[in-house]
Amino acid sequence: MSPATTTLPGAQVDRSARPRRARRPVLLLGATGLVVVALAGPLVFLLVEASGAGWASVADLLFRSLSLSLLWNTVRLTVVVTALCALVGTLAAYLVERTDLPGRRVFGALLVIPFAIPDFVVSFGWTSIAPGIAGYWGAVLVMTLAVYPLVYLPVAASLRGSDPALEEVARSLGLGRVARFWRVTVGQARRAILGGCLLVALVILAEYGAFEILGYQTFTTEIFSEYSAGFNLAAASALSLVLVALSLVVLAGETAVRERRGERVARGAARRLAPQALGRATAPALVGVGALVVAALGVPVGATLYWIAAGGSSGLTGESLIGAGLHTAAYGAGAGLLATLMALPLALLVVRHPTRMRRALSNATLLILAVPGVVVALALSSFTEQHLGGLGYQSAPLLVVAYALMFFPLALVGVRASVAQAPRALEEVASTLGLGRARVFVRVTLPLVAPGLAAAFSLVFLSVVTELTATLLLIPTGVQTLATQFWAFQQNLAYGQAAPYALVMMAVAAVPAYMLGRFFDRLPTQRQGGDVAMVLA
Amino acid sequence: MGAAVALSACGSSSAATTITLYNGQHVQTTDALVGAFEKAHPGVQVLVRSDDENTLDAQIVEEGARSPADVVFTENSPALEYLQNRGLLARLPSSVLAATPPRFDSPRGDWVGVSARVSDLVYNPALVSARALPTSVLRLAQPRYRGLLGLAPSETDFQPIVTAVLRRVGRARTLAWLEGLKANAGGHLYPSNEALTLAVNRGAVALGVINQYYWYRLRSALGASAMHSRIAPFAPHDPGYVVDVSGAGVLASSHHRRAAEAFVRFLVSRAGQEIIAHSESFEYPIASGVATVQPETPFDALRPDPITIAQLGTGDEAVALLREVQLL
Amino acid sequence: MRDLEVSDLVKSYRGRVVLAGVDLALDEGEFLSVLGPSGSGKTTLLRVIAGFERAEGGSVRVHGQIVDDVATFVAPERRHVSYVPQEGSLFPHLTVAENVGFGLTRRDRRGRRVSDLLDLVGLAGLAGRYPHELSGGQQQRVALARGLAVEPRLVLLDEPFSSLDVSLRSVVRADVRRVIREAGAAAVLVTHDQDEALSLSDRVAVLDGGRVAQCDTPARLYAQPATPELARQFGEVNQLAGTARDGRATTALGDVEIATPVAAGAVEVLVRPEQVVVGGPTARVLAEVLATEFYGHDAVVRLRPEVAGAPVVVARVANPSSLPGPGERVVVGVRGPVVAWSKDEGEGPPQARPT
Repeated sequence: MSPATTTLPGAQVDRSARPRRARRPVLLLGATGLVVVALAGPLVFLLVEASGAGWASVADLLFRSLSLSLLWNTVRLTVVVTALCALVGTLAAYLVERTDLPGRRVFGALLVIPFAIPDFVVSFGWTSIAPGIAGYWGAVLVMTLAVYPLVYLPVAASLRGSDPALEEVARSLGLGRVARFWRVTVGQARRAILGGCLLVALVILAEYGAFEILGYQTFTTEIFSEYSAGFNLAAASALSLVLVALSLVVLAGETAVRERRGERVARGAARRLAPQALGRATAPALVGVGALVVAALGVPVGATLYWIAAGGSSGLTGESLIGAGLHTAAYGAGAGLLATLMALPLALLVVRHPTRMRRALSNATLLILAVPGVVVALALSSFTEQHLGGLGYQSAPLLVVAYALMFFPLALVGVRASVAQAPRALEEVASTLGLGRARVFVRVTLPLVAPGLAAAFSLVFLSVVTELTATLLLIPTGVQTLATQFWAFQQNLAYGQAAPYALVMMAVAAVPAYMLGRFFDRLPTQRQGGDVAMVLA
Repeated sequence: MGAAVALSACGSSSAATTITLYNGQHVQTTDALVGAFEKAHPGVQVLVRSDDENTLDAQIVEEGARSPADVVFTENSPALEYLQNRGLLARLPSSVLAATPPRFDSPRGDWVGVSARVSDLVYNPALVSARALPTSVLRLAQPRYRGLLGLAPSETDFQPIVTAVLRRVGRARTLAWLEGLKANAGGHLYPSNEALTLAVNRGAVALGVINQYYWYRLRSALGASAMHSRIAPFAPHDPGYVVDVSGAGVLASSHHRRAAEAFVRFLVSRAGQEIIAHSESFEYPIASGVATVQPETPFDALRPDPITIAQLGTGDEAVALLREVQLL
Repeated sequence: MRDLEVSDLVKSYRGRVVLAGVDLALDEGEFLSVLGPSGSGKTTLLRVIAGFERAEGGSVRVHGQIVDDVATFVAPERRHVSYVPQEGSLFPHLTVAENVGFGLTRRDRRGRRVSDLLDLVGLAGLAGRYPHELSGGQQQRVALARGLAVEPRLVLLDEPFSSLDVSLRSVVRADVRRVIREAGAAAVLVTHDQDEALSLSDRVAVLDGGRVAQCDTPARLYAQPATPELARQFGEVNQLAGTARDGRATTALGDVEIATPVAAGAVEVLVRPEQVVVGGPTARVLAEVLATEFYGHDAVVRLRPEVAGAPVVVARVANPSSLPGPGERVVVGVRGPVVAWSKDEGEGPPQARPT
């Protein structure tokens, strides 16, 4: 289907004698420009702050052995966890979607839930019951368990959506089970796997809370230390630039690998593939998937429940669960809404009026994911202080703006996917039926893209629920979110009091996580679920 | 719970004064103090903003004259000295300063000491015997502690020790000492004293330097049976044996100077100090003649390095040294 | 040796018996079509032969070796039976060349085999393309080349042309037929399109009610259908009552020769429109022209024989230079032998025909 070339008879009558150039989408360009300027703000702030210290001192800071060891820590963790997530996520998706694994429906549901568990709660769960979990291998374990759903979800969706005949063809061509897994299942899901890996890598680069609990140093934790211990904004900014550079490397690598693309060619009959019999592999597969569920879901939830039951009081008081929960939900909803609205013009522009430049711009917005939250928060507060006379400082709206900027790329993912779903021909038909532009948008475009918008909203909401560093800086004084309150208690070793907040965080996150799961499920097969991740680029 | 604080603050009546507290102290202590203060002063409500003390410093500097903060309450004196040196704190009434022994107050009188902690060794007896413990923090740099030592170099609590060592042995030897610590710690660097204490307790490392209250808090959270570590003091007057003073000051930019002063006065009052004395935060009260009721070494029995508040300064020398040896 | 032998195959799907004892046999290198409407079980038959489903009764032999019966089940990957699904189902993540070489060993993939096959299917220039860059017809050819690359004993084609444009269909069909013939493989094509079945196949098996109603060459299927239903299925027929005796029958179109032996007495006679002769020396029966339709290469004439109770008869006239006008009276007759069934054996009363 190529919506761009579809013209309907009588839809347009060109009265001018000269051939007309395509109309420039002025409104879209304007709105996108505003959004891009807002997104570029924190990056500019970084550059200004870093250069403010003088390039010589920045160079001194960057080219020393500590940076090297941080780089090594960050890179080896990112590489190993990304690889493990690819392996675990793909295998689990394969077992659940493509084999006769007993209880695979239940497993299918259970394996998605860790998506709603904040990384630092997984970290807390493991370290609080097994204090030996620490350092590099602790970080590998915890991060793999915390973020594998980023691979599992799109791969499972892509396996569900792909043509079942492919496996049959491969069998008739003489391929055994293992060969089929590698060459057909993994091969087809490659885009989904890559997309998931990209997100995993970016998440690890930006992770703070989980590593803080585990006592593992990466660039992000060091940026926070630089800022909090030495109050050295220039140093923190310079280190952040390294993070941005690392993210660029990840993005470029992903783009290079992804070059070879393949889309599902035609839609076959809606026949589901008969699951492959696992046979003697059933028991090991069951043990493996079961262990994954226990480790990724059972331990964090179990530890949380354990600490709630164990109680324990450190004499700490804090905001009530309900209060913190309501604030969290309100901020999450506000940011989800704002980020989705911000993503709409850029997504429409890139999908409907694609140029190389615009696509590159859309991809470049991913970089904001690599800017530590504390830097975004500082950039915003500095902006309000210097240019707005402190207007909105430490106010809920500013916090929501910060969240929307930080998680903009996640919103863009969902919105781009769904805009791509809405064929332009439908809008053209609508306009021939006499609907004005605004009404076409409300009555045709919006309903078509609504599921994707909901997914975008959910992704942002989920991220807001667990955000910590920017929140601490920008939150209105006297207010706590679930994450900040959990963090305050956890930091003070008041596990019994921290645990309920973790539980509520998981509960609050479960709703959007469920919606996301549904979105992945419902994506039309023509654009496979993996494309959600892939729409990024 | 504190939700009451937050919610009532949102709907504050016109009669009430609302002050904003930038809190770098542990929330245990602060929450209890704020609660008691509000009960004693029904006309004043306190909004608390808790964060790392240096982050709060940074914010106050950034906010300048428009800072919403009225009171700042920090864990360590350098954070207050930093603000004071930039002229951001208002002079406190002498009656407030009088509650605390002068050696725990700002030399210029812009802030008052509220509580104190003392640095200690924490060690895991399964990994290192009490007899093998160093009597001086300087000896921790000796090769015999290689692989045994854990460090939390980015903790603001660590900087006063570096400053004390610097005053005692000079810059060159301090650098060598830090290099020794770094070599001994290897990869065992922790983001916080809580993490370091946990690591020693579970046996990931054999020993580390912390403030005493981290160990007591861990014991209170985990229960005595889960404590596989002990604490031990350095030899009297060792530069590793440092008393850190936590204090509070009123912002020069505050529009609620009276209420802010009332809060600071409460902190050092008998009532406020009693809260600290009974708190499970395990800090030492230092004002109004109150002593801790917790089962730890009595404050009077401590024999710390005689370094003064003024000598501890803003900690910038310590940070520079830490950065030079790349522990930061 | 036979390339495929299916006997008494039984298979049900969701509680409904789809195949109720199917028998089929393919000679070496033979091209057989299985024809049936959708839901007739033809795809199920193919999937059982491929090994994607297991038979519930009967047996399947490929090249003499049992691959599916009560005791044996050979996995699809070991049957050396290639499968070309309806949509081609090319691997979307692989190029044309990689798709074609998919079933080959690593070494063979680098050899000439892939490019030879691409030459064979006429897509030599497209080796580096991805499936979504190909037209539907090109995709089908690639799918076929992929199936042939492994030198299978048997190729199974599951309605491979149904998703193609009508204009493209006949070209691709001819190509596929030629390529399979050149490759020397036996093939089973499943289709609901009888033109396709008749024009491509050595033999056609018509599936009806879970059984093979008739399996024969296209010519015999047309000329000598086993049942009136089959006769009607393959083209227009005139259905006449008659009386049979000694291999001939008396009908409204006169005395006709019967192709297959039938018991004397009342019979039902089926006469193809092109068998009806209008004018000429053999025509004996008078008839009135009701209407004519001119098609260029031929014409259709509707007539009513002047015999009591005679139905309207359709005649197809080749090379029509001058057609009789409506209302004219002409003489008509029948050319060649016709099929007849004894009325007692008939399966219910004949229905109104023709169009």
